[in-house]
Amino acid sequence: MSTDVLSVRKRQEGLQFVNGLESDSDSDVEMSNDEKTESTREAQDGTIVTPGELVTDDPVWMRGHGTYFLENQTYASVAGTVSRVNRLLSVIPLRGRYAPETGDHVIGRIAEVGNRRWKVDIGAKQHAVLMLGSVNLPGGVLRRKSESDELQMRSFLKEGDLLNAEVQSLFQDGSASLHTRSLKYGKLRNGVFLQVPSPLVVRSKNHTHNLPGNVTIILGVNGFIWLRKTSEVDTANNTSTVMGKNAAALSGSKGDYKPGTNSVSITRLEEESSWEIYSDKNDHISDSMKKTITRYSNVIKALAHCEIGITEARVVAAYEASMAYSHAGSLIDKDNMEAIGQDVINAEKMRGNA
Amino acid sequence: MVLSITEKLYLHESLASKPPARPDGRNADQFRPIEIFTDFLPTSNGSSKIVASDGTECIVSIKCKVVDRAVEEELVVVDVDIAGHRDDSTLVQGIASILNRLLVSQMDQMSLRLTKKYSFKLFIDVLVLSSYSHPLTLISLAIYSALNSTQLPTLISSDDDLDVAELPTFHDYDMSKLNVKVPLLFTLAICGKNVIVDPAASESDVANNGVLVTWNDGKVVAPVRTLGLNEDYVRGICPQSLVDSIRMVEELAPKILKALDN
Amino acid sequence: MSRLEIYSPEGLRVDGRRWNELRRLDCSINTHANASDGSSYLEQGNNKIITLVNGPQEPKLRSQTNVNKATLSVAVNITRFSKVERSKSSHRNERRVLEMQTALVRTFEKNLLLHLYPRTQIDIQIHVLQQDGGLMGSLINGITLALIDAGIAMYDYISGVSIGLYDTTPLLDLNTVEESAMSSVTLGVMGKTEKLSLLLVEDKIPLDRMESVLAIGIAGAHRIRELMDKELRKHGERRFANISS
Repeated sequence: MSTDVLSVRKRQEGLQFVNGLESDSDSDVEMSNDEKTESTREAQDGTIVTPGELVTDDPVWMRGHGTYFLENQTYASVAGTVSRVNRLLSVIPLRGRYAPETGDHVIGRIAEVGNRRWKVDIGAKQHAVLMLGSVNLPGGVLRRKSESDELQMRSFLKEGDLLNAEVQSLFQDGSASLHTRSLKYGKLRNGVFLQVPSPLVVRSKNHTHNLPGNVTIILGVNGFIWLRKTSEVDTANNTSTVMGKNAAALSGSKGDYKPGTNSVSITRLEEESSWEIYSDKNDHISDSMKKTITRYSNVIKALAHCEIGITEARVVAAYEASMAYSHAGSLIDKDNMEAIGQDVINAEKMRGNA
Repeated sequence: MVLSITEKLYLHESLASKPPARPDGRNADQFRPIEIFTDFLPTSNGSSKIVASDGTECIVSIKCKVVDRAVEEELVVVDVDIAGHRDDSTLVQGIASILNRLLVSQMDQMSLRLTKKYSFKLFIDVLVLSSYSHPLTLISLAIYSALNSTQLPTLISSDDDLDVAELPTFHDYDMSKLNVKVPLLFTLAICGKNVIVDPAASESDVANNGVLVTWNDGKVVAPVRTLGLNEDYVRGICPQSLVDSIRMVEELAPKILKALDN
Repeated sequence: MSRLEIYSPEGLRVDGRRWNELRRLDCSINTHANASDGSSYLEQGNNKIITLVNGPQEPKLRSQTNVNKATLSVAVNITRFSKVERSKSSHRNERRVLEMQTALVRTFEKNLLLHLYPRTQIDIQIHVLQQDGGLMGSLINGITLALIDAGIAMYDYISGVSIGLYDTTPLLDLNTVEESAMSSVTLGVMGKTEKLSLLLVEDKIPLDRMESVLAIGIAGAHRIRELMDKELRKHGERRFANISS
């Protein structure tokens, strides 16, 4: 069947939302006198609680997020699951914006250029702050700040620019302070941006992965993702652990360890801290590379649609599963997205049992 | 949508290449999937809701009123409300004006006629809940679906009422389907020499220009005009692109209509 | 032509309900995941309401920033096609709507733990697609659901309902016909308690009848809370099952 130019899903008679407006009774609601007696037991771990519900009346617990207390009673303030870790009792909401933690590797977009600092949108409740002193300035990593730097801030990073950074610390109100004081952080180029719900990106040791096909992915913990052509720095920091059947054929490295491969020379430091790191120019990217990036972008969106957690292994698995569709543009169809999601889950289950 | 300079360069280069490489891999003439709901407002004669895959959502309601043709000038009125935009903003006013003029000129007055004296007047209310790209095409698809599922009261009184004082009377519960040809509006983006249909927000931001092409009753009709999609990348439009746009719509529209009518 | 009897001698109302029966209530949450941080769709009788919550997020205007807590705003869009007769003019800047918005902000400001989100803005956007009486009560219910969906901390549910007084008989959950025929009261009730977050009385009510009106209103609101809670738990269990798999 030729590619549909337009795929339409029609529903008639009612705004049936995905959850389904299942009315148990079509008739009006009666005032029943026999209401269920309220459970006086404590809500168990992992059960759903809703706002105003009593979680425990034991005063020994420390109250964490998602709760409030009156006298000795602890109540839930959000709808979510109860979590009891050590002596900390909290309710994890089912949904919520990204909440930064120190050490998180995130991607952000410059929202404002201010007085010796930038405000960065990382999809949290507040913009994060990137201080002028927390970035690498051209001319050498150790250069002291001077007055002219502040005025030239826009020549480094301006509104709309994307960068990856690490959360250095948190302010009292939970908002983040970022830094890019490492060569693996900084302005992003040579690629495309996409966004997935932040809970789908799990915190791990490394968030930059080299994927088969010479594409590098940065999985921001905040759900912001960058896909780009693998750069020299990426190849030097090669941390790919992918075992896919295409991986060996497509990726450049042969996997042999050579002494000094992962270190960066002093002269490289000087180079990298030049104006190049703030350049707004892209390298030349071939058409086939762009196609690869597009395909990765679509499969990641498919994983997000199926609410599957995004990891390097799953992205590669989804990419391989997507090769069944020669036209990458057909991956935007809901049914195809769900099929790929299923394939990835099934492959994992089988591997788990093997 | 805010994009960085490197993103825009990457996108523009991809879209201007031959063939255009769209960020989601679509063909130049491929639409994104949509969902359409109809008949969910019992107090309106027709209703439709359309949701696009990027979250753009539009609700249309059609209500009718019996009016005296000698007194009433226009038999179709379109009112547009885009959440987050003021009623007097250029975007809202522009869209309302295009829709009003189009529907008033293209819709067959006879299909609304009741008697020698009276006609139905249609009030088309458009509510855009969220919009990430130019909403005109989506609004037009929603209006199409709503009008094609509109039910109007069935007339039972006589057709010849020029001397009669009373208003027309209607059947208590029987309704008749409104039978009318509804025009469709297509927005296309021009990138370099390429023409692409249903531009996403990121594509609109780097397009060199936009074109609006109208389709009704099996052919391209007026208005055909340029549309401003962004401010940074605008270049003049060359005649060949206009011709390409029209040709693309001629190929595409019958397929779109078939998908909508099934 | 028979006149519609507001309350027949047999105890039936115009739509066949008894004095203490609520209209059909259907609700869904997370209906507009792309366009908002929290959303709900509510049908109470013939009221059809979409509620979208955005936030807590960075304030759009520097002047709105409160260093101690979040700033809450409510915008109600009553569409022109929401009633049987289409409205002549837009309701956007109508006094009545502005007052509704203020009352809703005041109601929820006390219920949300706004001090947990300083320097942020929480925007609530409501679209009324259809209305048939008891609108304020339905708005409250829609907002409660959408705020819970957004994960914004609150002390308890607030459920809204309207009660009318027909001569000496209280009638629960009024529709348009009933609202225009008698005095009415709207309540916003906190959770399972008898505490009121909102008491809205715009007509004359004899004081000695007030207690019976409040009693049935609070009971009705509790029942509404139960229905909303049931839907929330169902949704929560479904999501929890999805995430664990």
